[in-house]
Amino acid sequence: MAESVLVIGGGIIGLSCAWEAAKRGFRVTILEKDTFGGQASGAAAGMLAPFSENTESPDPFFRLCLDSFFLYPSWVHEVEEASGRRVELCRSGSLNVAFHEADLLPMHTRLAWQQTYGVPCEMLSELELRRLEPELSQQAIGALYCPGESHVFAPLLVDALMEVCSKVGVRLIPHAGQLTKLEAGASSGVSVTMTDAGSWHADRVVVCTGAWSGLLEKWFPLTLPVHPIRGQICSFDGTLGDIRHMVFSSQAYWVGKNDGSLVCGASEDVAGFDRSVTERGINRLTKWSGRVFPFLQGSPPQRSWAGLRPATRDGWPLIGCVPGITEVILASGHYRNGILLSPVTAAMVGDLLEGKAESYNNAFRVDRFSRTAERTGSG
Amino acid sequence: MNTRLNDPFVIGGHTLQSRFFLGTGRFPSPAVLQQALEASGTQVITFAVRRINLDDLADDNVLQHVANRGFVYLPNTSGASNADEAVRIARLARSAGLGNWIKVEISAHHRTLLPDPIETLRATERLVKEQFIVLPYTSDDPVLCHRLEEAGAAAVMPGGAPIGTGLGILNPYNLGLIVEEARVPIIVDAGIGSAQDVVQAMELGADGILANTPIAKAQDPVFMALAMKLAVEAGRLSRRAGRIPKKRYASASSELKGRLFEFAGTEGEG
Ligand SMILES: Cc1cc2nc3c(=O)[nH]c(=O)nc-3n(C[C@H](O)[C@H](O)[C@H](O)COP(=O)(O)OP(=O)(O)OC[C@H]3O[C@@H](n4cnc5c(N)ncnc54)[C@H](O)[C@@H]3O)c2cc1C
Repeated sequence: MAESVLVIGGGIIGLSCAWEAAKRGFRVTILEKDTFGGQASGAAAGMLAPFSENTESPDPFFRLCLDSFFLYPSWVHEVEEASGRRVELCRSGSLNVAFHEADLLPMHTRLAWQQTYGVPCEMLSELELRRLEPELSQQAIGALYCPGESHVFAPLLVDALMEVCSKVGVRLIPHAGQLTKLEAGASSGVSVTMTDAGSWHADRVVVCTGAWSGLLEKWFPLTLPVHPIRGQICSFDGTLGDIRHMVFSSQAYWVGKNDGSLVCGASEDVAGFDRSVTERGINRLTKWSGRVFPFLQGSPPQRSWAGLRPATRDGWPLIGCVPGITEVILASGHYRNGILLSPVTAAMVGDLLEGKAESYNNAFRVDRFSRTAERTGSG
Repeated sequence: MNTRLNDPFVIGGHTLQSRFFLGTGRFPSPAVLQQALEASGTQVITFAVRRINLDDLADDNVLQHVANRGFVYLPNTSGASNADEAVRIARLARSAGLGNWIKVEISAHHRTLLPDPIETLRATERLVKEQFIVLPYTSDDPVLCHRLEEAGAAAVMPGGAPIGTGLGILNPYNLGLIVEEARVPIIVDAGIGSAQDVVQAMELGADGILANTPIAKAQDPVFMALAMKLAVEAGRLSRRAGRIPKKRYASASSELKGRLFEFAGTEGEG
C-alpha cells in the first residue's frame, strides 16, 4: 500500500504540499486547527514579486523565490484546470517608486544584478512613470519597473487548492483543535493527537503550521525560532481611481485586484499572536495612501484585516527533514513570501518525501539554528 | 577590584556609554531588530533618511519599532551621490524632527558604494556651518580623515572595507595612522564581517564601531549583536591594557645551559 502522509496546518503551504504529495502517490490527510486558509494565507495580498522582495543580493533565498516565480504560471494553470476555478493570476508588473533623488542609486545597484536573471527590469524616468501610472503623486521622480511581476487572489487560490486536494483524494479535516501529541520513530511511523479530531497515524508527517511553528519546538530536538509578525492590510473602493501596477514604496504597497478593490498593505507589527486590526495601523496605511495616490486622500478603506506572518531568525524559511527523525518534514517560516513560495516548497517537500537529497545547498535546513547546541552534547 | 573602565565617549557634547552604533536596515523582522538592538547595548542608531516617513516620524515603518527607547538618531544620507544631495537630505531630516546629527554618506559608484572623498569633504564643510553634528563616512585615507576633522566633523568614520562586504579591516596600517593623528573620535564604519574584525579595529585604537549588515544578515542577528558588543568592549580593554610584544620564541632565556635543542636562528627577542 502507498505510504501515508499527515500534513499539519491547512494554510497555503500545507495545502500545496498535500496536493503535491497526493500527485506523487502518497495517501494524504491534512489536519487544520481551525479553518483552511483562515490565517496568513487568506490575508495575503497575493503578490509574486521575487525582485521587489529581494533588493540586496542574489542569495539562496532570492533563488528560491525566483524558482518559485518561474514555476507559478504552469502551477496555477494546473490548479485552475483541475479545480475548475480561477485564481486571478495577473501579470500587472511592478513599480518601485522613487520619491527622493537618493532612491535612484540603490535602484541602479539593484537593477545591475537583477537584470541578469532572465526577467527584464528597467529604470523609468518621471515622464515614463507618469505614462504607466498616471494617478501617482507628482512627488514621484522615477521608478524601477519590473513588467513580469504578478499577483494572484490569495483567498481564491486557497479555495482552489482545497478543491484540487479533495479531487485527488486528500482528506481535509478542519476544526481539528490543538495538537497534544506528536511522536515519531523510524519503525513506528508518526502518531498525532488533536483535541477535536482524535489520534492519527501515518508513515510521515509534514508540519506546515505557519506562525505557530515555534510552539511545536518541544516535539523536536531542534531550536525553532519562528515568530509571528502581524500584517495589517486594507482595501479601498477601486472606482475612486486607477492603480495599474503593483506599486511599492518604503512605507506601503498597493495592488489593484480583479474584483475592483485596491489593496494596500501592510504593517509589520510585533504583537505576538494578536491578530486584531488597530486604528493606528490602518490610519498609517490610509494617510500614506493619500500621499502616494492623491485620489485616495480622505477616503476610508472599505475593509481592513490582518494576518500573522511566520518569521524566522534569519528571514529564510525552514524546509527539510528533522535530522534523526526523517519521518518528520518541516515547511514553515515563509514570512512575507509564502504565497510566492508555495510551488517551490511543495516541490521540495515532494522530493523529500521521495527521499531525494535536499536542495539549495541545504540553505533552508531546519536544524540550522540548533547546530552549535548539538555539538556541545555527548558526541 | 573595579574592572569597569572609566572610559566616557563624547561626541558632539553627548556622553555615551556604548561605543557601538547600529544600522537598522535589512533585519529579517522588526522583532529580530528589537532584540538585536537590545543585545547590542547601543545608544546610537542610524537609518537612511530616504526611507523614512518624514511627514510622520511616529508612523514610520522602522522608527515605530525603535521609538521611546532613548536612542540618539544618526540619520544618514545614503543614496546621495554628491554634496548638494547630502545637504538637502540633512536639512530634510532636521526639519522633520530627526535631530541635528547626520552621517554623511555619499557614494558615486553603484557597485562598490565607496564614498566619494571630495563630495564628502564638501558636504561636511557645509553641514558643519549649518550647525549639524556631522559624522562623515569616508575611505580610510589618513590625510582625508584629517581634513574631515579640520572641517569640523564631530567624529570621522573610515570604512574598514567597502560597505556590506564583510572583508574586515583591509588596511590596518592606515587605520593605525588615522587614530594616531585624530583629535576627534574615530568610528570604524563599513566592512566589518564578524566579531574578530571589531576587536582588531578597537585594538588598533578605534574609538567605536558602526555595524549593520554583519548583524542584520548574520544567521542569528541577536547573537551577533551581543558578540560584537562584547568585542567592542574586549578590544577597547585590550587596547587600554597594552599587549605584550610579539616574539618569535616562547622563552626569552639567554641561558644556553639546560636547553633541549640547539638552534641556528638569528632572531632574538622581539
Ligand atoms: C498582510 C499580509 C500580506 C501578505 N502578502 C503576501 C504577498 O503579497 N505575497 C506572498 O507571497 N506572501 C504574502 N504574505 C505572506 C503569506 O501570507 C505567508 O507567508 C503564507 O500565507 C504562509 O503560509 P502558511 O501556510 O505557512 O501559514 P498560514 O496560512 O498561517 O497557515 C498555517 C495554518 O496552520 C494552522 N495551525 C497552526 N498550528 C496548528 C496545529 N498545531 N495543528 C493544526 N493546525 C495548525 C493554522 O490554523 C493555519 O491555518 C502576506 C502575509 C500577510 C499577513
